[in-house]
Amino acid sequence: MNPETAIRRKKHGFGYHLNTVVAVLITIIMLFPLYWMLATSVKSAEEVQRIIPTLFPHSFHPENYFNVLTRANFLKYYWNTIVMTAGILILQVGTGTLAAYGFACGDFKGRNVLFYVVLGALMIPLQVTFIPIYIMCANWNLTDTFLGLILPEAVSAYYIFMMRNSFLAIDQSYVDAGRIDGLGRFGIIWNVLVPMSKATIFTVTLVTFSNGWNAYFWPKIIAKNEVRRVLTVGLAQLKNTFAGQAVSNYHEIMAGAVLAVLPLIILFLVFQKYMMTGYSKAAMK
Amino acid sequence: MTDVTATTAVAEAPAAPKKPLLTQRQKSKFIDFLFVLPALALLALFTYYPIAKLFQISLTDWNLLKPEWNFVGLKNWKWLFAGSGAKYLWNSLKVTFLYSLGEIAATMVGGICLALLFKRMTRGFSAMRAILFVPKYVAMSSCAVVFLWILNTDYGVLNYLLSLIGVQPVDWLNQESTALLSVLMTTCWRVFGYGMMIYLSAMMGISPQYYEAASLDGANSREQFFKITLPLLSPTTLFLLVTTFLSSMKVFQSVDILTQGGPARSTEVFVYLIYKYAMVDFRMDRAATSAVMFFVILLCITVATMKYSNNSVNYDA
Repeated sequence: MNPETAIRRKKHGFGYHLNTVVAVLITIIMLFPLYWMLATSVKSAEEVQRIIPTLFPHSFHPENYFNVLTRANFLKYYWNTIVMTAGILILQVGTGTLAAYGFACGDFKGRNVLFYVVLGALMIPLQVTFIPIYIMCANWNLTDTFLGLILPEAVSAYYIFMMRNSFLAIDQSYVDAGRIDGLGRFGIIWNVLVPMSKATIFTVTLVTFSNGWNAYFWPKIIAKNEVRRVLTVGLAQLKNTFAGQAVSNYHEIMAGAVLAVLPLIILFLVFQKYMMTGYSKAAMK
Repeated sequence: MTDVTATTAVAEAPAAPKKPLLTQRQKSKFIDFLFVLPALALLALFTYYPIAKLFQISLTDWNLLKPEWNFVGLKNWKWLFAGSGAKYLWNSLKVTFLYSLGEIAATMVGGICLALLFKRMTRGFSAMRAILFVPKYVAMSSCAVVFLWILNTDYGVLNYLLSLIGVQPVDWLNQESTALLSVLMTTCWRVFGYGMMIYLSAMMGISPQYYEAASLDGANSREQFFKITLPLLSPTTLFLLVTTFLSSMKVFQSVDILTQGGPARSTEVFVYLIYKYAMVDFRMDRAATSAVMFFVILLCITVATMKYSNNSVNYDA
């Protein structure tokens, strides 16, 4: 048993209760922006503009959401975001798992040097290289296309690195046993390595998913037009189109913000344990 | 393994009496190489080729508004360091480092304070920890528009709360003295819980024996924190320092939504500067030169931290 629990059973001092009170207060403050987003999103245009803000919405206006979905075309942005995220996820997991196998279990000349090439890519973010990539994509007519959104993110050095570490941690005898049982390379990946590093795959994939869903910089550059605009960029645009003159549309902007975060919050609640350990696992390496 | 290759070699021997182009071993190595090829090809195309191209563009006078371009040597570099570009370069470097400092402090100091406050292992505290961690998963764009609303001068809830204690409304996002602070506020909300989780899981890994020994020696909890917890957390602190430093250098989204680099360039971080040269002014030459500069800075930080981390961290945990 945790020593602290044992102490708590005995008696609660002043410090213990002070700790509880401060913790609850901080939690309320940290939760407030989320609550405020939700509360504002169902307020009326008039209520949003009161000098004294109302903590609870006085009247309930779900039509804000319909406005954002149809008038501001969020349905389309949703579709674009889903396709982009799925594409990035599939390609990163695919190329990443294959490469991780090659670097962990393969045997070829220059394996270590090439792995350093992968690690080096960790230091070169898209924020540095976007100019030539943008020109390249423009030359290939990839602006405002899914391919343009996905391709520059198709491989993740981080994913390869994490998966390789996970594969290396698996005892070589399992791989040998698989070979003796007649498994080919894909068989070994699919039947031996992947099942044995499920936890890592799961957490790293969740991080990849949330990065894809939240991507902003590259989509803003490559998909400027309505057709392939993603949620994050669309939301920022909502602010530009509406907030120019007055604040009267903040209820709709908040509705858009709720729509943009909803899938991730749901995912977080479902996989809470994995997501929280996912980051700390990355920290341990 | 040797068994398998031996039997296949025997089985294939009659079918291929001539000497094969590649031996079995070479073939196996080549197939292994094919597994890493797609990833390497994509990295070459979308990471390494653009870096080389960037150096080349920085030596030209290319802008998107005219079709032809020429090599101009180091003209852009002179412009960046000694010409009219210099003051914007130094300004954005200053802003970026200030921002980085803020985010690092928020992650590390905030993280460790919250970890100490929220370390209790009860169901209620576990729920509160989850709540604190949620903002990390809120898309930066949603997060930024929420703070745009909270920080609104006339109808924002923060100014209302401040007015209750008699503070005049603050124009958070539109005055130079508070704009960067506002961006950092948004950042704090997102990273506090993250720092807390990282530190907390590291604290769990510290053996309770250290604390038992220390309390036997009469150390109070403050001494225990500074003499045991903090030193044993140094690998975690270093990890957070390196990753937060590098990621905070790349800040763009919150600035783009909250302030667009303004007012008077007071929040114009480095990536925003590059973005503006490239996508607003269409000056690819200047943008590329700044991007190369940015790359060099990132490289220096990485190399420095890697060198430093090899000899100064306490790994004894």
